[in-house]
Amino acid sequence: MTETRPPIISLNGVSKSFKDGQVQAIEDLSFDVRPGEFVSLVGPSGCGKTTLLRLIDGLVAPDRGTVLVNGRPPDPTYNMAMVFQSSRLLPWRTVAGNIDFVLGLRGHAPKARKSRVQALLGAVGLREFAEAYPHELSGGMQQRVGLARALAVEPEVLLMDEPFAALDAMTRETLRGELLRLWDRRRMAVVFVTHDIDEAIILSQRIIVLRPRPGRIDAVVPVDLPEPRWQTDPRGLPAYADLRRALWDRIHAMGREGVALEELTGAFGDEP
Amino acid sequence: MADQLKLDTDAPAAAGKTRRRRNAGSPRGSAGYERRRSRRIATTWQVCILLALIAGMKILNTTSGNLVMPSPEAVFWQSVEMWADGTIPRALGESLTVLGLGFILASTSGIMIGILLGGFPFLGRVLDPYVNAVNATPGAAFIPLIIVWFGLYAEAKIALVWLAAVFPVLINTTAGISNANKDLIEMAQSFGASRWTLFWQVMVPDALPSILSGLRIGAAICIVGTVIAELTMAQSGLGGLMIKAGNRFQMDRYFAVVIVMMALGSLITIGLRLAERRLGRWRVAMQDGG
Ligand SMILES: Nc1ncnc2c1ncn2[C@@H]1O[C@H](COP(=O)(O)OP(=O)(O)OP(=O)(O)O)[C@@H](O)[C@H]1O
Ligand SMILES: [Mg+2]
Repeated sequence: MTETRPPIISLNGVSKSFKDGQVQAIEDLSFDVRPGEFVSLVGPSGCGKTTLLRLIDGLVAPDRGTVLVNGRPPDPTYNMAMVFQSSRLLPWRTVAGNIDFVLGLRGHAPKARKSRVQALLGAVGLREFAEAYPHELSGGMQQRVGLARALAVEPEVLLMDEPFAALDAMTRETLRGELLRLWDRRRMAVVFVTHDIDEAIILSQRIIVLRPRPGRIDAVVPVDLPEPRWQTDPRGLPAYADLRRALWDRIHAMGREGVALEELTGAFGDEP
Repeated sequence: MADQLKLDTDAPAAAGKTRRRRNAGSPRGSAGYERRRSRRIATTWQVCILLALIAGMKILNTTSGNLVMPSPEAVFWQSVEMWADGTIPRALGESLTVLGLGFILASTSGIMIGILLGGFPFLGRVLDPYVNAVNATPGAAFIPLIIVWFGLYAEAKIALVWLAAVFPVLINTTAGISNANKDLIEMAQSFGASRWTLFWQVMVPDALPSILSGLRIGAAICIVGTVIAELTMAQSGLGGLMIKAGNRFQMDRYFAVVIVMMALGSLITIGLRLAERRLGRWRVAMQDGG
């Protein structure tokens, strides 16, 4: 049913290099994301995950190939939002002020903004910190504000760059649940970058494994686990273990092909 | 064995008690206590140095005479007299007029031009060598020209102060804007900020700490510029008072004026630092380790 709709994100033969071609970040990469689909990108550090998100967001242009979002080249007025790898909050604005800022950018009426800001801060558990400045928050709390800010604009496409990497296990677990619940209700397309295989499996419908130098697709792994996953934890299912092993095998193969092993272990933790 | 057990269970309780007692001695936490303590020691030292300086003046005065160094009490009584008969207040008023107007003009025009050059980087690049050339020229080099254009009185003095102070303000403003945090700019672009919003709501606020330090440097230069103007143009204000006393070898009068200048300079710098701390609250807080 969803397959018949045109993809909301479509990358075709995309290449991107930096420093006048000295660093080939991404080479000849193609994939589609369907509307409302939750896709994870996994891969070792430096394989171009952040660059891919920036390409989709229209912050950088590809050297070759095309990036289409909603059928058009990405354009900042389209309702897309990014959760950055570091929180990128405006240090001179309060937590509430930071969320208000992007609501203003997206043209929300000033009157409607206030209650919306409150609701979002409640959702990420930071209601009491509305008037605090970012430097008064812990790194994990700042990251949660970054998440609230992206969700505030109710994006059609949500790009997330390792949003939970800096959080403690407990908060991470809670926020994963929150994200899934929200996604279940709003059904925006999500492109979620992570280093964590388990996180990728729990959250996504499809996992794209990338390999580094230059960034290319190594494997595309569909996740056929029952949904909604915020109600039942899939980690006990036999299918989960199989999937995890399959993913690990892909990554292990990458190691045999000459990707430095420390990079992989750094990226994926211990072998199961 | 029983004793051993008793000892073991008692040990943590005792440790807890001593810890609590130590905390009660410094209720605000030991970091604040340490800071206050070191501040008190610093103040003690500062007072000691002041006393040593006064003692040194006195010794130099008794060994070498009034011309080399006036006695501290002579300077004190001369100060009292000059404040009482209106000499210093009048001179201070004249100096503050030149200083204040020069600073206000330099800061407003410096910030405005700086924002313009920061907002239009091409313009900034084109004008860069000229800005640098004028900035690198000592303010005193412009005195003859300013005298020809503006005369010898307040206008000319204000012009000199403005010219000396405008460039540090301008350069810091432009630098602050062109060095604005790229990550924050990208964030705002990603949420669809227009160029106008990006500039006024991200780049200019991010440049504020840099603008404020430009103002602090500019203010310090204004003080120097005021005194130079008062010495080299029509003698007036504190500078004029100082040079007159010096020329007549009235060293006690001279010192009384110098002390006022020192106090004025310190007050202005402290005031601006406070303003900087308040307006650039987030930056200062980060440096304090928050
Ligand atoms: N602005 C840039 N200038 C120069 N090189 C860049 C730039 N951005 C990325 N690169 C290079 O491109 C490659 C991919 O970078 P990218 O940040 O996309 O990796 P990543 O997969 O997000 O890594 P990580 O998991 O560590 O965040 C790296 O080799 C990096 O050095
Ligand atoms: Mg990255």
